[in-house]
Amino acid sequence: MADRPLIDRLDDTIEAIVSRADATAALRDPEVAPLARVAADLRHYPSPDFTARLRAQLERRTTMTSVSTTTAIREGFTTVTPYIRVREAGLLDFLVQVFDAQETFSGQGSGGGMHREVRVGDSMLMIGEGTGAGIMPVRPVSFHVFVKDVDATYARALAAGATSLGEPANRPYGERSGYVADRFGNRWFIATALGPQSVAGALRMVTPFMYAPRAGDYIDFLERALGAVTETHHEEGGRSLYARLRIGDAAIELGEAEPTPGSFMLYVADPDARYQRALDAGATSIMPISDEPYGRVGGVEDPLGNQWFFSRPSR
Amino acid sequence: MSQTTEDDRLLIEAAQADPARFVDVYERYVDRVYVFVSRRAENRAVAEDITSQVFERALAGIGQFEWRGLPVAAWLFRIASNTLADHWRERSREAHEAPPDVPDAGELENIERRITLYQHVERLPDLQRQVIRMRFVEEKSIREVAAALDRSEGAVKQLQLRALENLRKSMGGHG
Repeated sequence: MADRPLIDRLDDTIEAIVSRADATAALRDPEVAPLARVAADLRHYPSPDFTARLRAQLERRTTMTSVSTTTAIREGFTTVTPYIRVREAGLLDFLVQVFDAQETFSGQGSGGGMHREVRVGDSMLMIGEGTGAGIMPVRPVSFHVFVKDVDATYARALAAGATSLGEPANRPYGERSGYVADRFGNRWFIATALGPQSVAGALRMVTPFMYAPRAGDYIDFLERALGAVTETHHEEGGRSLYARLRIGDAAIELGEAEPTPGSFMLYVADPDARYQRALDAGATSIMPISDEPYGRVGGVEDPLGNQWFFSRPSR
Repeated sequence: MSQTTEDDRLLIEAAQADPARFVDVYERYVDRVYVFVSRRAENRAVAEDITSQVFERALAGIGQFEWRGLPVAAWLFRIASNTLADHWRERSREAHEAPPDVPDAGELENIERRITLYQHVERLPDLQRQVIRMRFVEEKSIREVAAALDRSEGAVKQLQLRALENLRKSMGGHG
């Protein structure tokens, strides 16, 4: 070894350090050893790009914090709650059978059908049943759900009447996942984390999965309209593969495909300001701000047809 | 009260009064938190993800932070330990909890030494600094660095050697 030039022996050591392989051989080389110790410390050198990006993210977040406080969120809820409209009863039973969901509230909805609130693990969903008049259309949406045992949950989903969209398999992004559609057409991407590259750690049990034909443009819109913060955005060849955005203390995921728009309830401290901000960013009003028995609320529709309702609950 | 502790107190009070000032806390401690996390993370992507989570959690919790005279770094390292423990629990998917550890005096000294080293990197001649960043931060191969800088692989290895020798001297080692 020692007859090779120092620059090559040092480079072998650096290669091992950077790839986290065994670099201890360098310690026996008296010329390389002192430099290898410096190199080992450099492995933890923070990327200036990363620290600048995180700083910008925190700055955006603190700007958000000044216009919304967590005290506006209903107890047990997060900032964003998906509202699933279905033509008739049955979705609650499906969620109970498959995901051990618990109904926390039910009552007559403004459209005439039942309004239900359902806890699934650490996540909340709202369900509106019936085809009566109402602002929110009946339409299927998609969710990413993390469970302990995807195979067992997938089997329960099929037993509960779901259609398979893909059997459980190990995916390259660190998950074992199986895909189903319930009888209303809602899609459930059921997953169990396999490794550190899984996004499970950044998500609650249930996360809405949205689609946009040009995800980059839509991300830009969500940042401007809702103060969303992009946590991850993977692109390849100009195409978005996956993005995760945070709105307050909740996350949404985004892929590039034809949109399957849904409806979402956002709990915010100042619905008037948030409604106006969304309109300024290009959203259309579907419900002017007003005081309702359950709180002050207003709603907008974004360019893809997703509906966002800003609500400050009654005390 | 030491100057550092007094500075910490002012930083925290400012951020509690106006969340926008949290970036000052971030600026002061991000490198230390990153170094602490990086030694326990599998790779750079995980270290960056966990560091992000640490500051998100710190921002979310700053309203509840009670000033007791302890350094802000100790509070951030505790959040980092818990975030790492969550990460390992999720990763191992086993019932046992990874013991959350915070840096002891020896590790705190190592963290400070590394922060000083990184300051010396910033003062290296331009080409040497670029090689160090590409090699260690961007984890580029010698071939990739050579292509990016339009130099031969041998020349990049020489720059790499010179940079490390300079850094060693700056840190008080013998050249």
